[in-house]
Amino acid sequence: MKIRKISYDQINESLYEYNHYSGLKAYVFPKKGFYKKFAAFGTNYGSVDSEFVIPGEAVSTKVPDGIAHFLEHKLFEQKDGNVMEKYSAMGASPNAYTSFTQTVYWFTCTEKFHEGFNLLLNYVQNPYITEESVEREKGIIGQEIQMYQDDPNWRVYFNLLNSFFVDHPTKKDIAGTIESISHINKDTLYQCFHNFYHPSNMVLIAGGDIDYEEVFESVDKHIESQIPREMIERIYPKEPNEIRTNYVEQTMEVSIPIFYMGYKDKFRDRKNSRLLEDEGKDLLARDVAMKIILEMVFGKGSSIYNLLYNQGLIDNSFGYDYTIEKDYGYSMIGGESFSPEKVRDIISEEIRKLREGGFSDIDFAITKKMLKGRFVRSLNSVEKPCRGFMNNYFKGVNVFDYYTMYENIDFELTKEVFLDHFDESMMALSVVKGR
Amino acid sequence: MIKERVTIVQNSSIEEVFSKYGLSIYKIPFEKFKTNTITVCIYDDLTKDTVAKNALIPSILKQGSEGYPTRRDLSIALKNLYGAVFDGGVSKKGERQMIHFYMETIKDMYGADGEDLSQKALDLIFQIITNPLLENEAFPAKTVETEINNMKKYIEGKLNDKVSYAFERCIEEMCHDEAYGLSEYGNLEDYEEITPKNLYQHYQNLLHQNPIGIYVTGEVKDELIEKIKGKFLTLVRSKMKEIQKTSFKDAPSEVKETLEELNINQGKLCMGFRTNIPPTSFEYYKLLVYNSILGGGIHSKLFQNVREKEGLAYYAHSKLDRFKGLMVISSGIEVSNKDKVVSIVYQQLDELAAGNISDYEFESAKKYIISGLNSMKDSQLSLTDFYISGSILEVDQTLEDFIENVNKITKDDVVGISKFIKPDTIYFLHGKGV
Repeated sequence: MKIRKISYDQINESLYEYNHYSGLKAYVFPKKGFYKKFAAFGTNYGSVDSEFVIPGEAVSTKVPDGIAHFLEHKLFEQKDGNVMEKYSAMGASPNAYTSFTQTVYWFTCTEKFHEGFNLLLNYVQNPYITEESVEREKGIIGQEIQMYQDDPNWRVYFNLLNSFFVDHPTKKDIAGTIESISHINKDTLYQCFHNFYHPSNMVLIAGGDIDYEEVFESVDKHIESQIPREMIERIYPKEPNEIRTNYVEQTMEVSIPIFYMGYKDKFRDRKNSRLLEDEGKDLLARDVAMKIILEMVFGKGSSIYNLLYNQGLIDNSFGYDYTIEKDYGYSMIGGESFSPEKVRDIISEEIRKLREGGFSDIDFAITKKMLKGRFVRSLNSVEKPCRGFMNNYFKGVNVFDYYTMYENIDFELTKEVFLDHFDESMMALSVVKGR
Repeated sequence: MIKERVTIVQNSSIEEVFSKYGLSIYKIPFEKFKTNTITVCIYDDLTKDTVAKNALIPSILKQGSEGYPTRRDLSIALKNLYGAVFDGGVSKKGERQMIHFYMETIKDMYGADGEDLSQKALDLIFQIITNPLLENEAFPAKTVETEINNMKKYIEGKLNDKVSYAFERCIEEMCHDEAYGLSEYGNLEDYEEITPKNLYQHYQNLLHQNPIGIYVTGEVKDELIEKIKGKFLTLVRSKMKEIQKTSFKDAPSEVKETLEELNINQGKLCMGFRTNIPPTSFEYYKLLVYNSILGGGIHSKLFQNVREKEGLAYYAHSKLDRFKGLMVISSGIEVSNKDKVVSIVYQQLDELAAGNISDYEFESAKKYIISGLNSMKDSQLSLTDFYISGSILEVDQTLEDFIENVNKITKDDVVGISKFIKPDTIYFLHGKGV
């Protein structure tokens, strides 16, 4: 067994890595003294992967939007019953999610971890899909799509993505549309399963007060022997370095208007504009730089926050976030406000001033210190670091490297990221207003 | 003369290290966490006259103090403590309102230069609580105005989440003539009489007369406890206010029914029951298992019957309030299915009373509760909250004792609880045209 231990001495944690011959990588995050145990099995396959080239074929294959999410629903049904009930009888809680770039199945428990872990490995590798159950699922997912259509927070978010992106599929709802899922059938589901659920396209992480050798032995026993295979080529449209529109508005049942605004990254020629040579390290550095910047520009200590709060333009619902993937990235700033356009105007005015005046290096230093401390705090849990690991893995980022990046990131590089990101021509505002 | 009472509570997880003048200090030592926490709770009766004032206190204190007059100053101080987390708010524990302040800092070993981060965190939280920013012996007028507006916006905004809105309205209808019917934030009209001056006076009374509980978790050094004692005893504390115990009331002879109309698609049904089971009795653990079998997860009768079998709802569950002895069932349904769902709910209660409980339901329910309790040991916040409830109820009980009691419950115990479940109020939030 090829097991590697990675130690993170400064934060007093370690990680065990096992390379299975199928190409699957498995990790264990040991947490002595914790009661909760967690495991997740994820595949590098999400809602944006709707066009790809199957190895050995000359032309690309297109599948209906929402199929990754549909497949996630279907895996919970097994020949001998529902996976949820099996976990419930063990006293464990199972769940799954589909994001833009991955599909992840997980469970938490305090007892009978290995039983739950083996079940996880087995059900995710063994779909049991019938035509009849596919038709039934269309009704259930149709209800889910409609429920999200009524959710103002979900709408304001997707409306913003829609104003940012011209062609990129990240602007599409993860669950697809009622029309797109009507084209899904048993065969397309199995086709996607066979292409994207190969162990070499997947990763496992388990955490808690568990024995790593036992976990890796289970992997050996339950991962069906397959040889590694060629990576599937995915096809994404070339997204231009511009936004589709800078304002979008929708009317819904809300008592106070909700707004999301943000800036889209210029990623057209990413390969030539890396800050660091390694792709994963580059993404990590950009993410860390943006987290520091957002805190400095919009945090409770910032002049923007105080200007807006004192004028009653924002309240405690105000927040901000940054998303970065291999071929796209964007920031989001939002909350509830009676005058979203005024908020946007003040923010862009203040950003203009910051572009000229710059930041103080003292602010930069204490913000780094803060985020380092917050990262240490996030390790107070079994589940959180494991989830963070999963969400970053397929980008080539190891979540435990955040700590050293917070320590080492430099002021000049951060300023460069700021100037690059906050370009007014890439800014959009999305608003959901009451009737 | 008052003698100092130092009690060592008979368990390993929590220790009451000081209790005098209505000030109690507890330590919950832990090695496995990377942070230390301090929680300060000030208790008051939940009443119409004081609910809004109490709710405003943390919002105002969070805006700045004498030593850190602006949000920016406070933010810099917290960043310098490696991003210490500071928060404050109010909550409802039975018919008691609790104002709480919370600070969390990383352990010294993760900081630099051998700084004592816990001590600094204590200085900061104490400064925020006891040295608020003042003008003319009152809270700053502008801050009070802004925070009253934010609070009113928050109260109005509660309507945006229809699920929790329906739940709260059901409690309000059910307990309209009891203190428990009040929300911890009060209603809009409760904010009308508040001035910067009377709010500050109210806060002074709280600090000097109301019971205060302080909970410290993580790596707790004796010097830190001494320092907490020293600081908080500088507050002149005399004439301690006695906080009332949560009262019980019998269910009405006829079930009350309230309908409310809003422009929505899905109906929200809430059914409130009284059990009047005392929170510290052994019967409470039976009720806990009863509730889990009825509506506490995917193993439950409500989930299996209302959702899986009949496909009538996306969610259907039941929830207990330990202090008040209440049980509330909630479900999101088609408006036209209301009567059907109500009758299915009553059927499930009858099934429980008749002892029709499968091994799967019974075992899963207990495992689910115990797993949840064990998971609380992985969170300093959950554990602190568990012990806060314990001290309000005046019981010396560890999580292990609690789990042991749940383990003792038999199917017969659960069946025996049925006779205490009395329907009180049915609340239904629905769209137009019913």
